[in-house]
Amino acid sequence: MSTVAVRMTGISKNFGGVKALENVTFEVLAGEVHALLGGNGAGKSTILKVLNGVHVPSAGAIEVVGVPLTIHTPEASRAAGIAMNYQEMSLIPTLTVAQNVFLTREAKSRGLIDDKEAEREAAKLFAMLGVDVNPRAIVGDLGAGQKQLTEIVKAISQNARILVLDEPSTALAVSDVNRLFTFLRNLKKQGVAIIYVSHRMDEIARIADRATILRDGKHVITADICDLPIDTMIEHIVGKRSLGLADVERSDAVRGDVGLELRNVSGRNKPDNISLTIHKGEVVGLAGLLGSGRTSLAKLVAGVEPVVSGEIRINGRPVHFRRPSDAIAAGVALVPEARATQGIIAAHSVSDNLTLAALDNISKAGFVITAKARAATDAQIERLSIKTASRDHAVSTLSGGNQQKVVIGKWLAVDPDVLVLDEPTAGIDIGSKSEIIGLVRELAASGKAILMISSELSELLTACDRIVVMADGRAYDDFPRAALDAPAEANTDITHRLQAAEQRLQIAIQEALAAGQEISHAQH
Amino acid sequence: MPNTDMTQASGVLGAFLRDWRQNIIYIGFIVIFVVFALTLNDRGFLNPTNLLNIVRQTAMIAVMAIAMTFVLSAGEIDLSVGAVAGLASVTVAMTIAVAGPFAGILAGLATGIAIGTFNGWLTTKIGIPSFLTTLAMMGIAKGIAMWISGTSAVPILSQSYAWWFGGGSIGPIPVVLFWILAFGAVGHVVLRRTGFGRRVLATGGGEQAAGYSGINTAKIKFRVLVISSTAAAFAGMLYAGRLQSGRFQLGEGDELSVIAAAVLGGTSLFGGKGTVIGTIVGALMIGLINNGLILMGLEFSQQLIARGGIIILAVALSQKKA
Repeated sequence: MSTVAVRMTGISKNFGGVKALENVTFEVLAGEVHALLGGNGAGKSTILKVLNGVHVPSAGAIEVVGVPLTIHTPEASRAAGIAMNYQEMSLIPTLTVAQNVFLTREAKSRGLIDDKEAEREAAKLFAMLGVDVNPRAIVGDLGAGQKQLTEIVKAISQNARILVLDEPSTALAVSDVNRLFTFLRNLKKQGVAIIYVSHRMDEIARIADRATILRDGKHVITADICDLPIDTMIEHIVGKRSLGLADVERSDAVRGDVGLELRNVSGRNKPDNISLTIHKGEVVGLAGLLGSGRTSLAKLVAGVEPVVSGEIRINGRPVHFRRPSDAIAAGVALVPEARATQGIIAAHSVSDNLTLAALDNISKAGFVITAKARAATDAQIERLSIKTASRDHAVSTLSGGNQQKVVIGKWLAVDPDVLVLDEPTAGIDIGSKSEIIGLVRELAASGKAILMISSELSELLTACDRIVVMADGRAYDDFPRAALDAPAEANTDITHRLQAAEQRLQIAIQEALAAGQEISHAQH
Repeated sequence: MPNTDMTQASGVLGAFLRDWRQNIIYIGFIVIFVVFALTLNDRGFLNPTNLLNIVRQTAMIAVMAIAMTFVLSAGEIDLSVGAVAGLASVTVAMTIAVAGPFAGILAGLATGIAIGTFNGWLTTKIGIPSFLTTLAMMGIAKGIAMWISGTSAVPILSQSYAWWFGGGSIGPIPVVLFWILAFGAVGHVVLRRTGFGRRVLATGGGEQAAGYSGINTAKIKFRVLVISSTAAAFAGMLYAGRLQSGRFQLGEGDELSVIAAAVLGGTSLFGGKGTVIGTIVGALMIGLINNGLILMGLEFSQQLIARGGIIILAVALSQKKA
């Protein structure tokens, strides 16, 4: 029996009133690769942040190799032998690769930092992984894949007893992933405990010995990987949620003319040769993992990034966007992924935010006409039922769901024909989620063509008429919503049907991923 | 693959361009020096006495700018340096008058440490941005200096103090040159080759990432602010020694020259990037420009305009094009 490297018992963590973790127990043995799985908001990153000292647990105890961890700071966790990659978040863009890898653990000669020695050591580590990263390059100049490798090397350079890898493979090529796995197997032999987080089930099946699945902040199951075939894993991850989404009434869309059409559209990096047609009155969802090219596609449609080849047509007319304002003028509005930085101006009032995109409509000779601004604001507050103390309160005082309504309302004021929603419900409570989805359906019914991106499959299934599955920048499947409902289940209750459809969609995403990797493998 | 060749070619070219922009301060320094040497030679520009005078006049700016390099590299700013120099000149002079030079030196340094601690505490514990903390401190320090000196100059009678701090020379070489070299050498090694220096650059380069890497960024910010105020107090002591008196006006407005010297030298106002050697050359360049403009016979008003123009030009040239 191998020794227990990490034992977390009864861990709870509350953020304000939200319970991110509830009495979770998590145990990792020395010399194993332990997969940590769960959907968005399941609590994976929270429990990892508790483990490495970024968050202090509200309750529970942590033991590292039998020694209780009582101080919860990144320093204390590191001293206990825990190292973690942070998906690029722990790299300093202005320092070199070698300086980053050995930050706070610099090689010294006669008391002074020896960068040459650090560069040699870093080069050795990269050579051991068999990857090509220049230790003297400035991190800010590197591409995403190289940054990712730097993060991983930084974590493994600490000779840690517990190595946490959070989505280490998202920006890596297939060959780099294989080398990483070879390396991890070597570490395993040396008795290092490895916690591996990934959304890619095929990878988990290849590398992990055991898996723990979390859902809604609770522990679901811990089992050997051989007892968890991929569909069983997905079943546990999806679970039987207390949905609330099921209340949203679904009805078939009345399809009008074509609103948005993409013909073989490619971006600079992603997406790759996408063709897609959205009729007025239709909601089309994009499903896929991080890095599948969903957001890049949205950015092309909204004129944020340039189209490299192919053609976009709005209402049948070809368009060429050089900047977002061109897209807005053509009737395209984007509700961006990062609400706080790209969607709202938090310190400004509800009214100022709602009228920002349509200032020209409510001003005369450059002056904003207060009465018109008020009328426009009140109309949107009423239409979207935004809960705010007044139109003059700062948007920052609103809940996440109501902030998102403000972003949507901002665009409704210019009356777009095409609405692109990138993760419209991220960080919003379940009640507001179904409200937002209801709103999306309503907008479609009023004749808008809607493209929606969401990592929460249950939401896509509730909101969309069709779902396109993306991986590696390419589109793989285009399911009419009904195709995901198996006919045999037509009479069972809606929650169950939604759950079954979600599992089918999950499997489709994993299949697309595997197909995408084969294609890029063939290209190498 | 043809792609790789292109990347390499543009990489070499890019590196050259980057280097050219990064080294603009040295190129600019030489260009200005040569232009002044050619046009102002008949007015004694190249005269050793004149050149050493430039060093004498630049010493205080250089000392403060070396410390400012740390502050800017950590992503903070210190606007109070000029006022702290003035206050320290007064506390040194008043203490020497009652307790002698040694106590005076201690009093001067204590002034800097005390103000730096207060700046650091307000910035890191209370959470007021250093821009505001030090802007307010600028007024407070000046006010205290005016108040305790009764707005009049406090004479320093100790010749040995005056020799060591600002006034003396060894043969033709002014003592302050050795101070610049000492501060420069220590500053350069600390920023480039010690764990503290690396933590300063990391804090300014990416505060969150630095925190995740186990760096106590608040402590680093606290320390750079203390270093800056202490260096400013030392510069005030040099002013006091050179003029053999302490006055609240000494160092007035220096914060702009100090920040300009660091930025001219290649230190980023946004943190994460700093060079002590560049800063010293930046300070000397400002001294050089001042001297040349005076020798040209420009009026003070014209000097201000010309100096501002040259600084804008140099910083604009050093910007990396997106």
